[in-house]
Amino acid sequence: MTTVTGAAFCAALGLGLLAAAGALLPRRARPAAAGGGTAAAGAAAVVAGLAAMAGHPWSVWLPDLLPLAGVRLAVDPLSGLFIAVTGAVAVCAAVYAIGYTRPARDGTDDAPGLDGRAVQAMLPLFVVAMLLVPAAASVSTFLLAWELMAVTSLLLVVAEHRRRASVGEAGLWYAVMTHLGLIAIMAGLAGFAAASHGESFERLRAAAEGLSPAVRSAVFVATLAGFASKAGIVPLHVWLPRAHPEAPSHVSALMSAAMVNMGVYGIVRVGLDLLGGGPAWWWLVVLASGGVSALYGVLQAVVATDMKRLLAYSTCENMGLVLIGVGAAGLLSVSGARAIAALALTAALLHVVNHAGFKTLLFLAAGSVLHATGTRDLDALGGLRSPMPATTALFGIGALMASALPPGSAFVSEWLLLQSLVHALPEGGTLAAVTMPVAVAVVALSAGLAIAAFVKAFGVGFLARPRSAAAERARESSPAMIAGMVLAALACVAAALAPGLVAGGLSRAAGVAAAVAGPGGDPVTGPVTLRPAGMPSTMSPLLITVALLVAVVVLMAVLRAVTTRRARRRARLWDCGAGPATARMEYTATSFAEPLVRVFDDVLAPETDLDVTPVKESAYLVDSVRYRTTVGDRIEHRLYRPVLAAVAWVGRAARPLANGSVHRYVGYGFYAFTGMLILLAVTR
Amino acid sequence: MSAAGVVGAVTQVALVAFGAPLLVGFMRQVRARLEGRAGAGVAQPWRDLRKLLRKEPITPHGTGVLFRAAPLVLAGTALVVSAVVPIVTTASPLDGTADLFAVAALLALGTVFLALAGLDTATAFGGMGASREMVVLALVEPTILLSVFALSARVGSTNLGAIVTATLHEPLLVISPVSLLAAVALAVVTIAETGRIPVDNPSTHLELTMIHEAMVLEYSGPDLALVEWASAMRLTVLLGLFAGLFAPWGIAGTSMAMLPVAVAAFAAKAVVLGGLLAAGEVFMAKLRMFRVPELLAGSFLLALLAVAASFFLAAP
Amino acid sequence: MSETLYVQLLDVSCSALLLAGVLALWRRDLAAIVRLFAVQGAALGALVAVLGVYEGHAGTIALAAGIAVLRGAVLPLMLRRAMRAGGAFRETEPLVNVASSLVAAALLALLSFAVMRPVIALSPSPATRAVPVALTVVLLGFFLLVTRRRALSQVAGFLMMDNGITAVAFLTTSGVPLIVELGVSLDVLLAVLVLQILTARIRAAFGDSDLDDLRELHD
Repeated sequence: MTTVTGAAFCAALGLGLLAAAGALLPRRARPAAAGGGTAAAGAAAVVAGLAAMAGHPWSVWLPDLLPLAGVRLAVDPLSGLFIAVTGAVAVCAAVYAIGYTRPARDGTDDAPGLDGRAVQAMLPLFVVAMLLVPAAASVSTFLLAWELMAVTSLLLVVAEHRRRASVGEAGLWYAVMTHLGLIAIMAGLAGFAAASHGESFERLRAAAEGLSPAVRSAVFVATLAGFASKAGIVPLHVWLPRAHPEAPSHVSALMSAAMVNMGVYGIVRVGLDLLGGGPAWWWLVVLASGGVSALYGVLQAVVATDMKRLLAYSTCENMGLVLIGVGAAGLLSVSGARAIAALALTAALLHVVNHAGFKTLLFLAAGSVLHATGTRDLDALGGLRSPMPATTALFGIGALMASALPPGSAFVSEWLLLQSLVHALPEGGTLAAVTMPVAVAVVALSAGLAIAAFVKAFGVGFLARPRSAAAERARESSPAMIAGMVLAALACVAAALAPGLVAGGLSRAAGVAAAVAGPGGDPVTGPVTLRPAGMPSTMSPLLITVALLVAVVVLMAVLRAVTTRRARRRARLWDCGAGPATARMEYTATSFAEPLVRVFDDVLAPETDLDVTPVKESAYLVDSVRYRTTVGDRIEHRLYRPVLAAVAWVGRAARPLANGSVHRYVGYGFYAFTGMLILLAVTR
Repeated sequence: MSAAGVVGAVTQVALVAFGAPLLVGFMRQVRARLEGRAGAGVAQPWRDLRKLLRKEPITPHGTGVLFRAAPLVLAGTALVVSAVVPIVTTASPLDGTADLFAVAALLALGTVFLALAGLDTATAFGGMGASREMVVLALVEPTILLSVFALSARVGSTNLGAIVTATLHEPLLVISPVSLLAAVALAVVTIAETGRIPVDNPSTHLELTMIHEAMVLEYSGPDLALVEWASAMRLTVLLGLFAGLFAPWGIAGTSMAMLPVAVAAFAAKAVVLGGLLAAGEVFMAKLRMFRVPELLAGSFLLALLAVAASFFLAAP
Repeated sequence: MSETLYVQLLDVSCSALLLAGVLALWRRDLAAIVRLFAVQGAALGALVAVLGVYEGHAGTIALAAGIAVLRGAVLPLMLRRAMRAGGAFRETEPLVNVASSLVAAALLALLSFAVMRPVIALSPSPATRAVPVALTVVLLGFFLLVTRRRALSQVAGFLMMDNGITAVAFLTTSGVPLIVELGVSLDVLLAVLVLQILTARIRAAFGDSDLDDLRELHD
């Protein structure tokens, strides 16, 4: 069976490279070849990942593939989980991409640039890179795969830079942030490898015990910074709400549902597995940054009016929730409550899976809306349910899955997370007693606000009446795009109704983390009714859904029996007797969020301009009123603007150094080189 | 799954389904008497429902499937919750299916569908109601979950049956600080979730102040009947939940003989709690919308203190 | 008194002490704050009485009666007179809005639980386990003192802080010497008298008791 994992994984890599070669085909055939190949690679990766989660690890060392270190790959259950998730997201996104990147038939080019050779080739390469990251088993392989992932995704983000100026800016932010993150990770892992005299993960794992606490902490903090930035954790999230909305939608789905997970993978792999856990303050930092991220992300999502920006901030929120689980797991493992720690980690990993499902679906559906209307602005959308019924239904399913309500998948993972937090109290000691209530409150508030955010996205974006001509002209998307979304929706529904099916694999994945692996059995059991190990709480998402359906059917039958007049009559809406209500009178996304902006005004700090022009100096007659309110990203303004200003200042100050003389530039190189030689001569 | 449990669950669904409008009628009657009016009688809500059910169903222009499905989902969630919550029996066969977290989430599901229906009408009122309802829903959530936390901490389970049984075995737990603080917090939650004064005014039709009524403004006929009935059931279920958590006496366990007693006990508890709520409303004014977060922050603080007390204070 | 009943009564009186503090943070109505202060004084008296009865200490019981009379009746009465004389019946918008200060209070409570943990570990008993509650009351009083604008609600905050300190003293040491308690109480009484006069003076000078107006007095 071990060979299944290896064969499927190699097949995935091979198919991915083949799909990249498919970009050489003529323009018409390209999307189908590249997309189909990527989907096949994704499917193979799902098989490989599931096989690994079923307990069939696989590893290989290819010493000659790269100079010096060679390539080391190892797929254990934890890697398998992330490989399977990435593969599944890739299948949906690639099928969708066949329709999304196809050049328009009627000559009006909807998406110029998306069927270009480079863009088409990058998609499978990006997927291959994301499959390699969790499979890497040595520092050099990991860093290489990480950088490949960063570069391919960067190229995909800027695919549409000719159409919108904002894409270039987003790309710049992303490039800088991802490379700063890479530097942090590289510094951390290189230090780790140097201290343990070897760079394979096995070696690191063995040597971690013997390292001094200072080195261990330095490694953890450096890698945490890099991984947290990839996962979009506040305050390192600034690239995410820029890059994810500006990327083509199938790429947004891949980035938001699969790539951010690599940050979580890194934290779990390095912190809980390689380093084998650490002091409580590490996990308090993880927990606190997760909590801040969850709240800040969801607050920004609630006030966002750009549909894809809303989804991007929701990614920050969900990754925050995942880190709350990871932090709680680490914290509880310190105080010895290993069973509950394993439960918390399992809940976090389940949330990774669920988030990948619904975020794929939502980003793809948002892409369909963008494709059909040309706008992402919720204030200009609405009324899409009649022209785009399939997309509306699919986005509705995604929104339900995302909002922690019973037949949804996020509800299941948040339920497990809450169970682990609630039951941490007696065993976890004082630290747990002080942090867990706050963590529960944070999870609850972010769940509540996420409901508001998705009610806004769905209710304002798809229901009611069109708010602009663009929304009126919308047409349903192509079959390939719908097929991609349907695949994602099916996966979500399966995960929501029968989470018990993946429980075994998840427990094995969580068991890889040495710090939380306990002597007991699986942290969660039960295919129908979820039973966290060692606590008497139970919950069954499937039975709740069935009960709800039965209740609704019974009600419909009763209603049919007791009502006497059944023919429905259509009538005007209540317009206060002032003539027909127009679309301009509808509530928009901005007005929907206004009460929450007022409630959280200390955190969001909205900027408001009120401009009143009176009629000829009259104090009472008003000619026109202009009201503008914008809610910016406060962390970006407060934290990054000063740094950017300082960098710009340094740049200006250094300007005299570059006066345009080539001799001078070559001279700098010469001086630096001789200077270094002199330094060597003096110090040795 | 015991026979008594199944019978009990059916009994409590029937009790809530038929008793809820009567409870609402009783509360209106209490209010009317305290305000010096004669009142329309306890059975008036049932008469209203009968009248609405006989009317022609109307679909406003521009509304979709969701608008028509929302009342069904709202009533469906209320029915499911009424089968789970220990109103009459702690041995409901659905007890292991949905714990206290799931009950809170199911009630939220009904609210969400109603809010979507409000947005679907494309009128300003619908949007306004939906927006405000979501604010209340989001801010109530931390209090609910922390109260659950506090109540489940001493039992070790979030399943309602387990919590109520534990309280039945140790009646002194009810006057412990944990229980008292959580009770006050959950009382605020109950008021907010059922849209009573001071959070919302159930009898207002003034556009600028209404929350719930604004969302359901476009409903009429059988749809409105369903919405009204579901709201009454939610009120009853929440009062039943409150009574079950903090005054569980009389609830039947697995014995069939206790069921009639339990029904009578619940009726008495509902009358007392409903009467108190109605009497409180007479003496209170509705809060401004932007004062509501203060109320909810206060209840959040109490719930947090309840959690802290459950861990730090000496257990009696 | 049985052990169970003792713990129960102790916890309930501590909760009442805390609840009064929380509600004082919540309400804007000055009369309500004064009433809550009276309730808190009574709760403190009850707490000390419970401790006294449990230990069978007649002196402590007498002290409890004294505390209840002074803090539950005399001081509130004086505050009410000051309020009537002051003419202002509502707190103007506090420096930190009410919702935020309630959330802050929640965090302060957790902080005091975390801080007091080692102290409780020294001698775990029902009384010491309630110490964090008393410390929370101290912090809440302090918070009230820092964030309120009206002189009267600041005085109430100061007095609540003192209630908390007294509670901490009784819970940790099972009673302070009578003479110390008398001294403290007299001190508090004096402070209130001085503040009452001061409030009247401020009002006479500015026509209002909003302490932000005092800024005008600098140099």
